[in-house]
Amino acid sequence: MTPGRLAYIALNAAILIFILAPIAIIFVFAVNPVPYIDFPPSGFTWDWFVQFFTSDIFMRSLWLSLRVAAIVTLLAVFFGATASLAIARGNLPGARTITAFVLSPLMLPAILTGLALFQAYMFLDIGRPLWGLVMGHVLVTTPYVVRTTLAVLHNFDTRLEEAATNLGAGPVRVYFEVTLPLIKPGVIAGGIFAFIVSFDQFPVSLFLIGPGNETLPITLFNYLKFEMDGRIAAASVVSILISLVVVIGIDRTVGLRSYGKM
Amino acid sequence: MSASIHIERASKVYDGAVRAVDRIDMDIREGEFFALLGPSGCGKTTTLRMIAGFEQPTEGTIRVSGKDVTGVPAHKRDMGMVFQNYALFPHRTVRENVGFGLRMRGIDKATVARKVDRALEMVSLSAMGERRPAQLSGGQQQRVALARAIVIEPRVLLCDEPLGALDKKLRQQMQFELKELQKTLGVTTVFVTHDQEEAMAMSDRIAIMNGGRVEQIGTPSEIYNRPKTRFAADFIGDTNLLSGKVVERDGGKVLVVAEDGFEIPGADHHPGGVVHAALRPEKIVLHPDESDAPCIVRGRIDSANFLGDSILYRIALPKGRHVLARAANTAHSRMLPPGAMTRLDWQPSDLVFLAD
Repeated sequence: MTPGRLAYIALNAAILIFILAPIAIIFVFAVNPVPYIDFPPSGFTWDWFVQFFTSDIFMRSLWLSLRVAAIVTLLAVFFGATASLAIARGNLPGARTITAFVLSPLMLPAILTGLALFQAYMFLDIGRPLWGLVMGHVLVTTPYVVRTTLAVLHNFDTRLEEAATNLGAGPVRVYFEVTLPLIKPGVIAGGIFAFIVSFDQFPVSLFLIGPGNETLPITLFNYLKFEMDGRIAAASVVSILISLVVVIGIDRTVGLRSYGKM
Repeated sequence: MSASIHIERASKVYDGAVRAVDRIDMDIREGEFFALLGPSGCGKTTTLRMIAGFEQPTEGTIRVSGKDVTGVPAHKRDMGMVFQNYALFPHRTVRENVGFGLRMRGIDKATVARKVDRALEMVSLSAMGERRPAQLSGGQQQRVALARAIVIEPRVLLCDEPLGALDKKLRQQMQFELKELQKTLGVTTVFVTHDQEEAMAMSDRIAIMNGGRVEQIGTPSEIYNRPKTRFAADFIGDTNLLSGKVVERDGGKVLVVAEDGFEIPGADHHPGGVVHAALRPEKIVLHPDESDAPCIVRGRIDSANFLGDSILYRIALPKGRHVLARAANTAHSRMLPPGAMTRLDWQPSDLVFLAD
């Protein structure tokens, strides 16, 4: 093995450790019986997980987070994919400006978006209903879907649509038979981002949560303000696993792979 | 049922200025293999796309079997198209690709399966039905594209440089197969290509296009032997372009090629201003310059390229201009060495006068 190759592997290992070490610490913390971060662990227990899953507050907020993330994903995918199609295909004047506008929530710190939405809701006297939270999440997650869908559309060979047209498919059938299946990987990748961003969303939620409607990250934050024990770690582990299951699950069922060169 | 296509003064203007196609007229007969030949940007693909219905002509009409199709959307034209790079649906199997057009026509599953089987058999791909396009070679993908276009029994088969991505050997084989298939089916075929050999080998008739206009329409031999324009003469095969004046002398007509200072007797052309003429290299007869026998012009061999079946000479004329001459490689021919003087001769009738 050449020294160059060795350095390459060492660098990659260092980056991986940097990314994964905090997650590993959480795992260790979650199964360590003592209620503080301690290394090496002094034992092994599932107790924190049991406490997490039997806590009403945690379970309510976990369930709410999952439902919000699911609805946000559907809406973000719908808005994002249709917006991308319009931008890429619509021959719209100022398509670049529209793209920049749609993607702008990515440029702003989410905490500003949250604050701005909060003030807007107050001003409009909307209050803090659940659908307000959902719309806030949709606002910050749609850009991910637009980004990934536009990337696929950019490489899309429009002759495929012409071929379908030539073979007798009208515009609607061309869309469902050719366009949609071929942009699907981009849409789904964006949808996964949307799910994870919504499920983990803290700054936007912080401003838009109504009393009794806390999502999991907010509940964790409130809990952390007073206590710091293994339940936090167990909740984090569950969060990570849910995200992982969603990504793998979607990849296995609908598929993220694209069909070679398009 | 095969169709005829009549294009009448059709133009395609982009952004109000660029005339991609400029008032073209074409009559494509039923069952004919018709090539649109020309360099890139000549309007051949735009013409094909107008026939397919992907582009609307800015002016003029296109009639298919006598019926004006100008306003008919592409998906109702009942034409099969083979695209450049094939445009196979990457997310569908070969069978699904081929069956797509039948399914769009609402044909029942059993019939679709039967017709797909037969189409795949025609292009010898029966064993590949369950594969995806990405798993096939270029030649196989080409065949799938062809099967997909013919399985719907189209009135017209449109081909946009379908063999352009294949290597030379495979290309020739596919030319042959495509031509055979076209003859068997008897389907009117419009074939876009920039490859003059391909157009010559496959077509019943060729339309040579340049700058959005049609230069000449004719059979391959008409176009080769009797080109009408300088562009047509130059684009097909090797050509010597000569220009000069036709004058009457001693009761006969003579072409005076001014720049090279020689005269060609028996010119069959009206006397007048400057005229252009084409002379194919293989029509020039070369004699070793051993005698001072009469000839049209003398020259010196500049280079001699051995091409296998023939030898291509580049010959410098007295005033420095060069002409090409091709001599068949026969058993008793001997190659003239570079630097040798030679006499050039040809039949007056081999000189083709060009419109412009």
